[in-house]
Amino acid sequence: MSGTLYLDALGPSGPYRPTRRSAVEDVTGTRVAELALVSELFAHRAVNALRAAVPLPSDERIAALERAGKAFASAPVGGVPTREYERLVARVSGTPLPAVRATTRSIANAALEAHRAAHAARPQGAVDDWRSPSARAGGALWSRRGGVLAVHAPGNHPGVHAQWLEALALGYRVAVRPSRREPFTPRRLVQALRTAGFPQDHVALLPCEHGVADTLIRDTDLAMVYGGDDVVDRHRADPRVLAQGPGRSKILITKDHSAATVLDTVVDSVLHQGGTACVNATSVFVEGDPRPLARMIADRLRGLPVLPPDAEDAVLPVRPVATARALAGHLADRAADAVSHGEDVVADIGDGSACLRPAVHSLDGADAPQHRTELPFPCVWVAPWSCSDGMAPLRDTLALTAVTDDERLIDRLMSEPTVRNVYVGAHPTHWTVPGVPHDGYLGEFLMRSKGLRRA
Amino acid sequence: MLANEHPVLDCPPDRVPEPEELLRAALRWHFDPRTGSPFWLRRARSLDFDPVRDVHTFDDLRLFPNVVDELRETRVEDLVPRGYGDSSGRVRVYESGGTTGAPKRVVFTDDWLERSVAWSLRNMSERGHPEGLNWLALAPAGPHMFGEIIARQARARGGLLFTVDFDPRWVKKCVAQGRTEEAARYTEHLLEQAGHVLATQDVGVLVATPPLLERIARDARLTALVNKNVRLIRWSGAHMDPDTRDLLRDEVFPEVELSGGYGSTMILGGVDERPDTEGVSVFDPFSPYMSFRVVDPETGAEVPYGERGQVVMNHVSKTMLLVNNLERDTALRVRSREGQVGDSLGDVEPLASFGGRAAIEGVY
Repeated sequence: MSGTLYLDALGPSGPYRPTRRSAVEDVTGTRVAELALVSELFAHRAVNALRAAVPLPSDERIAALERAGKAFASAPVGGVPTREYERLVARVSGTPLPAVRATTRSIANAALEAHRAAHAARPQGAVDDWRSPSARAGGALWSRRGGVLAVHAPGNHPGVHAQWLEALALGYRVAVRPSRREPFTPRRLVQALRTAGFPQDHVALLPCEHGVADTLIRDTDLAMVYGGDDVVDRHRADPRVLAQGPGRSKILITKDHSAATVLDTVVDSVLHQGGTACVNATSVFVEGDPRPLARMIADRLRGLPVLPPDAEDAVLPVRPVATARALAGHLADRAADAVSHGEDVVADIGDGSACLRPAVHSLDGADAPQHRTELPFPCVWVAPWSCSDGMAPLRDTLALTAVTDDERLIDRLMSEPTVRNVYVGAHPTHWTVPGVPHDGYLGEFLMRSKGLRRA
Repeated sequence: MLANEHPVLDCPPDRVPEPEELLRAALRWHFDPRTGSPFWLRRARSLDFDPVRDVHTFDDLRLFPNVVDELRETRVEDLVPRGYGDSSGRVRVYESGGTTGAPKRVVFTDDWLERSVAWSLRNMSERGHPEGLNWLALAPAGPHMFGEIIARQARARGGLLFTVDFDPRWVKKCVAQGRTEEAARYTEHLLEQAGHVLATQDVGVLVATPPLLERIARDARLTALVNKNVRLIRWSGAHMDPDTRDLLRDEVFPEVELSGGYGSTMILGGVDERPDTEGVSVFDPFSPYMSFRVVDPETGAEVPYGERGQVVMNHVSKTMLLVNNLERDTALRVRSREGQVGDSLGDVEPLASFGGRAAIEGVY
């Protein structure tokens, strides 16, 4: 690439180029772009403009989303061909290129399905248009809780941007604050949405510093934020904020199943798309000795190619060497007395970046504190579990794969409120299709039912 | 009588003395047992140089230690040069904002106040700022010099002055303790008062700190009131980033003239933004009484023009001598104007932390 790319903000009146900017670097420390950073006043005015905008009619939104999804995946957007975009994302986020490519397709599909997926959350008693004859004599209208949604996006995986498309489908105006590490995905998506028919004051890209991001969350009606436990705790009491934290996804294999027969599922759950997502498995519980399974997992994950993230057959996540070492050090601290079955985590590529190789540890107990340690690379804790351990070790879980025939156990998992998704059988923890909720339906957060009568 | 030994110190307010002549006279004045302040006469004993013998140029002011931290504790009587005689009743005490700890105290004598206000009035005339309009000042009075200077400016420009007073230290305390909600409520309280004045009175000149101006800009009703009547906005008292400045000028208040200021209690006053500058705000000091250098804090040497460094301030007058003061602000080093001592400042910003304490700007 020649010269430095400049990424302007996409404000409600068009592209905006302030003087304040930050460098976007790839995993080797090479500067690949400069990102505009908007001021607090700009962000505030942008939100006001978005709030004043009248949503497009529903069918126009559906059509525009579909067009945008197609363009996002298969056309040059803002002059950038898909392949070039995908390489950039791989280089700055360290997500392996094949994972970025697969995510391009899933974002396009999410755009196509956004309306249907959003409406899967609509209560049976609610209509989506007050004109609907079925509510004439009394009923409910499914209506937005606000007008403007802020999305405070992370940079660990481009796939998170598939989520907020549902908000656009529901008529929200959306202000995305991109990750300063990986702004390319939301930028391309916002550009594609605008080209496809969403006016500039319906969806905006507002890169900014932390202080301004807090203002953005205050100024908008609702916000989605992503981060660690600290972020989740900070927003826990705020009903306007949907905080998405670590997934701590898990696999449970009871003694009526041989762990060896579901090894493919376990390995896939750990390694899928570089293992950086909240739906990658963090813990695996087996009835009996966890060490044989840990060794099998480690054997399968051994010798993976050490490649830059934009290599065609990259599989491992890549970070700057210093970050990789810090993560490995953090893991070593946390692992403490756990038995390691894997290779050295840091595999230096030699260009300033390093692959993060899978870490596989076995633990002595189901209640070990390590289960709370979720790291942005394939890192799994294998532990024993028995009926007497009960639900406690399985709580606080985004996706739980239960390989069991024990219906009473399945009943308990289904009624456990802190487990957000339960997949029974050998399904990977990252399994999903549009229409299956990720962490509840987004519509549960964005919408409510309003009493209605008009005759 | 003693002052007659140094006529340059009493140069008429509409004239500007030759810089080194002023400097040498000021040093003789401040370090003469008959005229100097008890503070400097005492402090001179611990200097490893003789200010009168060894200091000839503004560059030589680097010999001085930075004494401003001592202003947090010094009796203000000890700051008044003895040459002023019995000064009670003719000296005003002002304090710094308290951004970097306990406030620092300075003394303003009448001659300095008149001289610096006269200079600011000349600047306003040169810029063609409107006269005969009423002013509304959202600016702190009390211990802060800001309020008194504005009162004199408004009167001299032929306008009535409306004021909304506030305590910037309370806001800083709220912010420092994480009570942002309380700071926001206080700001709301100030805006409500401003709104009432704007809605009921004829206000042509609005003086506000950048954070308050920004809050006005976020309020559609207040913005409309300002755009309806106000012809000039003078902002000062905190930094304004260039992007916000552009937005205010081009989009929020497109018909209103914006003129920025940069003030510091440690130079006993404020300076106005150089007119018609594209890009960043540039501030030229009231040379030779006030002068700046933009330095690399590690080496103390000036940074190249156009680069950011930390601001060193000097105040040299009959009233006070506050020199070689490394301030909490950073700025781009800008070439000064013809005949001016030192550097001009571009795009002034606070240091994120200063002397180990977080610098909190708040509303002033």
